Amino acid sequence: MALILFLARRLFYAAILVIAVLILSFLLIRLAPGDPVDTLAGQMGGMTEEIRTDLRREYGLDKPTLAQLGIYLERFASGNLGYSYFFNLPVLSLILQRLPATLLLVLTALVAAVVSGTTLGVLASRRPNGLLSQFITVISVIGYSAPVFWTGMLLIILFASVLPILPVSGMTAAAVSGGWLLDSLDVAHHLVLPALSLAVVYLAQYSRLTRASMLDVLGSDYVRTARAKGLEERKVFFKHAFRNAVLPIITIVGLQFGNLLAGAIVVETVFNWPGLGRLAFDSVLRRDYPTLLGLLFFSSLLVIVANQLVDVCYRLADPRIKAS
Amino acid sequence: MRRAIAALITTLAVAATATASAQEPRRGGTLVMGQSTGTTSFNNAVGSGTGIMVPGAQIFASPVMHDDKWNPKPYLAESWELSPDALSMTLHLRKDAIFHDGKPVTSEDVAFSILTIRDNHPFNTMLAPVERVDTPDATTAIIRLKHPHPALLYAMGPPLMPILPKHIYGDGRPIKTHPNNSRDVVGSGPFRLVEFKPGDQIVLERFDRFFIKDRPYLDRIILKTYPDSQTSILELEAGRLLLQPFFNRVLELDRAKANPQLVITNEGYAAVGGINWLLFNNKRKPFDDVRVRQAFAYAIDRDFIVKALHKGLSKVATGPIHSGFPQYSPDVTKYSLNLKKAEELLDAAGLKKGPDGIRLKVTCDYYPGDEDGQKRLAEYMKPALKRVGIEVEVRAPADFAAWAKRMATKDFDISMDAAFAWGDPVIGVNRTYLSTNIRPLVFTNNAQYENPRVDELLNAAGREPDEAKRKLLYGEFQKIVTADLPLFWLTELPYHTIYNKRVHNPPTTIWGTASPMLDVWLSDK
Amino acid sequence: MFARSPVAVGGLVLLIAILLVSLVGPLVYIADPFDIVAAPLSPPLSEGAPLGADQQGRDVLTGLIYGGRATLTVGAAAALISVVIGIAIGAVAGYFGGTVDEVLMRFTEFFQVLPSLLFAMVLVTLFSPTLTTVVLAIGVVSWPGTARLTRAEFLKIKQYDFVAAELAIGARRGRIMWKVILPNALPPLVVSATLAVGTAVLFEASLSFLGLGDPNRMSWGLMIGSSRSYMLSSWWAVTFPGLMIFLTVLAVSLIGDGLNDALNPKLRERR
Repeated sequence: MALILFLARRLFYAAILVIAVLILSFLLIRLAPGDPVDTLAGQMGGMTEEIRTDLRREYGLDKPTLAQLGIYLERFASGNLGYSYFFNLPVLSLILQRLPATLLLVLTALVAAVVSGTTLGVLASRRPNGLLSQFITVISVIGYSAPVFWTGMLLIILFASVLPILPVSGMTAAAVSGGWLLDSLDVAHHLVLPALSLAVVYLAQYSRLTRASMLDVLGSDYVRTARAKGLEERKVFFKHAFRNAVLPIITIVGLQFGNLLAGAIVVETVFNWPGLGRLAFDSVLRRDYPTLLGLLFFSSLLVIVANQLVDVCYRLADPRIKAS
Repeated sequence: MRRAIAALITTLAVAATATASAQEPRRGGTLVMGQSTGTTSFNNAVGSGTGIMVPGAQIFASPVMHDDKWNPKPYLAESWELSPDALSMTLHLRKDAIFHDGKPVTSEDVAFSILTIRDNHPFNTMLAPVERVDTPDATTAIIRLKHPHPALLYAMGPPLMPILPKHIYGDGRPIKTHPNNSRDVVGSGPFRLVEFKPGDQIVLERFDRFFIKDRPYLDRIILKTYPDSQTSILELEAGRLLLQPFFNRVLELDRAKANPQLVITNEGYAAVGGINWLLFNNKRKPFDDVRVRQAFAYAIDRDFIVKALHKGLSKVATGPIHSGFPQYSPDVTKYSLNLKKAEELLDAAGLKKGPDGIRLKVTCDYYPGDEDGQKRLAEYMKPALKRVGIEVEVRAPADFAAWAKRMATKDFDISMDAAFAWGDPVIGVNRTYLSTNIRPLVFTNNAQYENPRVDELLNAAGREPDEAKRKLLYGEFQKIVTADLPLFWLTELPYHTIYNKRVHNPPTTIWGTASPMLDVWLSDK
Repeated sequence: MFARSPVAVGGLVLLIAILLVSLVGPLVYIADPFDIVAAPLSPPLSEGAPLGADQQGRDVLTGLIYGGRATLTVGAAAALISVVIGIAIGAVAGYFGGTVDEVLMRFTEFFQVLPSLLFAMVLVTLFSPTLTTVVLAIGVVSWPGTARLTRAEFLKIKQYDFVAAELAIGARRGRIMWKVILPNALPPLVVSATLAVGTAVLFEASLSFLGLGDPNRMSWGLMIGSSRSYMLSSWWAVTFPGLMIFLTVLAVSLIGDGLNDALNPKLRERR
C-alpha cells in the first residue's frame, strides 16, 4: 500500500514536471525569429504572400501566444500531440515510428556497457592494485574524455575505408524487406558501430564505478562479518558484496538515462540512424515546433520513467531505505 | 565441312542476337535512387523543389514532355497547336489515359490543374497570363492567354504541370495542405505511390494500366533520402544505391570516377539552369553604390572557385541566364580577378582603409541545407575579400526559417543564394530581377533591384512569340544587368548524376529526373 | 597529496601544454585559420599544410593552434556559470531547508529532467549561434549537478558544532553561509567544478559539431563539424581536432581525479 502511495505521489510530481517542461519549451520556441511557414516556403521553393497568410492561419500561428499554448495543452491532454508542419503527419505517429530505432540503439548500448562495465569492475576489484585494475582506471578516463562523435567518426573512417566489414550508415541496407530473419540480421549488422560508440563512454564509467563500489563494500563491516563467520570467499564476494555494490550502480544508470538520450542525438546524426535523436536534430533545424515539443516531452517522460524505475528497484532491493 | 560452317554460322548468329539483345531493354527490377532533400508532399502543382518534383513527375503525367534538345514531345496531349495570334493553345488529349484509380483523364482535369497551378504554385509568373481554360469536349482543352506566352510550352512539362484528378483534389479542401498530397496520391503517371516513410524512403511501383504500352520498364523505384551526400557515395560504391542525381559534391567525383562500376554524367540538368550568386542588399549602404558591388566582383576569383573549390567541374556564370539556355548571350560586361581595380573602386566610393587595414565590415548569410554549394562559397568570401580590406563575418543561419526571415525583411548585407530557371527565363529568372517582385519572401527580388528598362525588357520578352526577337530582348537584358550588377553570379551549379553501369537510358532529358522515367531499365551487371 | 599521484600531475602537465599552445601559440605563429593555403583535401605533409588541409584548403595545424582559444574559453566560462548558479541555488536550499529547499529542489529536478543537449540546441538556435549564446546555453543546462552537491554539503556541514557556535554568537546568515560553511564545502565542489570544465568542453564540441557553433571563431568542434561530411576523404581534418578535445578533457579529468583523491581521501567517487 505504501508502495502504491509512493508511486502515485511520484507520478503526480512527474506529471507536473512534464507539463512545466512543455510550457517552458513552448514559450521559448515562440521567441524564435522566423516560423515554420518560412521553412515550408523554402521547402516549396518560394511562396506568395496569400499562401503564407493562409498557412499561418491554418497552423494557428496568427493567434496570440498564450492562446496557442492553451490550445496545445488542451489537445495534449486528449493525447493529441499535434501535427508536424514539415511532414504533414501526426507528431505522435512520427515519434512512435522512430522510437523503436532509438530504443534499440540506446538499450543495446546500455546493456552492453552495464554488462561489460560491471564485469570488468568486479574483476578489477578482486585485485585492487593489480594490472587489470590500473588498466581499467586508465581506460575509463579515456573513454569518458573522448567525445562520443569523435569515437563514432573514427569508427566510421576505420570501417568505411580500412576494414569495410561493417556498414557505417543507416539502419538497413535493403530497401525492400527480405523476411524478418534477414531484416533482423541486417539491422543487427548496422547496429554494431553506433551502439559501440555510445557504449564506450558508459562502459568506462560503469567499470570504474563498479570497482569503487565493490571495494567500498568489500571493506565494510557487513562483509567482514560474513568472512568472520567463515563463509566461502566466493559466496561472500558475489552474494554479499556484489549485491550491495550494485545499488549505486543502478542509481547512476537511471540518472544517466538522460545523458544516453543526448548521446543518441549525436550518434544518430553521425551514423544516419533513423531514430528520435536525428528527428530531434532535424526538427530544431526546421522549426518544426510540434515535433520538437513532442520530442521534448517524450525525452522528459523517458527520463522520469527511468528515474521512477530506479527508485522502485532501489526500494525493492533494499527495503531499509525509506522514500525521502 | 558444310555442317561445320553451318554450325559456325549458327553460333555467330546466336552470338550476334545475344549481343543485340544485351542492348534490348529488359522489363523488371527496382531502381534505388537517392535524394538529399526529403520529400514531404508529392503534389508538384502547388510546390517546387527537387524533393517534390522528382517523385511528382513519376506519379503525375503532364500534357507534354521534352527530349534532351528542348523539343516538346507528346505525353498526355497527343498533339497541340498554338493559334496564329499566339493567344490560345489547344491541347488534344489522349483518349486512353486513366488515373491510378481507373477514372479517365479528361479536359476537366486539365483545366482544373492549370488553374490550380496558376493560383497556387510559388512560380507565379509561370501561368499568370492564363485567363481561362475552355473544355469544348472531354479530350480537348484550350488555354486562353491574356498575351502571348512562349514559356507555356515548358510550363507544360512534367515537373511543372502535373495533371491532377479533379474528382479528388477538387473537393473544396485547401489544396496546399490537402491530405492526398502525401497519402493515397492519385495521378496518371507511370508509377504509383505505395509507401512513404518521411525522411527515410519513398516506394513507387509501376502502374499496370499506364497509357503508354510496355512502359515503364522498371517494376519499382525507391527514393532514399540521404541528408549526407558522403553516405550516398558509399552506397553507390556498395551497389545498394543505383542512381544519385543532383550530386554537387564535386570534390568527391574523383572517387566515383575511379570506380569502374559507376558512370558520371552532367547531362539532365539543362532545363534546371541553376546558378549561384552573391546577393547584395541594393537598398543598403554601401551596396547601393555600383562601384562597391563591382569592387566585390573584381576581388572574387571565380576561376579559383571553379578550379580549386570545384576541381574544374563547374563553369563560371557570366550572367543571369544559364549558358545552356537558348536565350543565353555571352555579350555582357565581364569581370575577372583584379585586386588593384577593386581597391581603386572602393577608394573612389569613399571606403578608405582604416588604421587596421579594414575598409568595411560585412555580414554574409547563406542558404542552409546545401553545404557543398552555399556554405563553402560563403566561407570562401572571408579570405577572398580580406585581400581588399573587407572583413566578412559569416552568419550561419540556424535554420532555413532564420535565413528566409532575413531575406524577407531585407535584414542582410550580402548573402549567398541560388535559383533554378526551370525551363524558361519567365519561369525562374524574372522573379529575381523584376522590380514588381520585391516582396517579403524568399526567392523573389531579394536584392531589391529596380531598373524600369529591365522590367520593360523582361515583360516584353515574356510575351514575344518570335524566338529571334526574344533572344535580342534577353540579350539586352543581360547586358544591362551585368553592368548594374545587383548581384554577382559565381558559378553554374555543378550538378552531376552518378549511376551504376546496370542502369540504362538514365534520365538525361532537359528535365533529368524530374521527368517520367519511362525508358530506364536495369541489367544484371 | 596531489603531487603524489603521477597520473594527476600528468594531467596538469598536459593541460599546461594545451594552454600554452592555445594561448601563446597564436602570438607566435601568426596566421589566419580561415585562409585558403592549400589545395582542398590535401593530406598531411603537403606543402603549406603539415597536418593536411580541409575541404576548403584551410590548414589543419593553424586551426588547431587557433581553435583552442574558443574551445577553452567556452569550456571555462560555461563551467563557471554553471558552478556559480549551482552553488548559489544549492547553498540557499541546503541552508534554509523547509519550503525554500522544497521549491528549489523541484526547480532543480525540472532542469535535470530536461533533455540537456536538445534544450541547449534549442536555446542556441533561438538566439543565433555565437560564443556568448553557446556559453550561456551550456551554463544554463549544466548547473543541477553542482546544485545537488552543494545542497548535500550544506545540509551536512550545517549540523557541525562550529556552525552552531557561530549562530550562538549571533553571526549574520550571509556570513555563516559564505564565510563559514562554503569554505568547508569547497573540496568536493572544487572537484566538481574541475570536472564541469571537461563536460562543458565536450558540450561545446558537440554543439559545434552539430553545426550550432559560431562559424566565425575557429574552434576544434567547429573544425570537426565542418569537415564531417568530408571525413572519408580527409580523416586528418576530423581526427586531429578531436584529439585535441580528447586531450583537453582527459587532462581536466585527471586533474579532477587527482584533486578528488587529495581532498576526499575517505570518499570514493560516485560519478
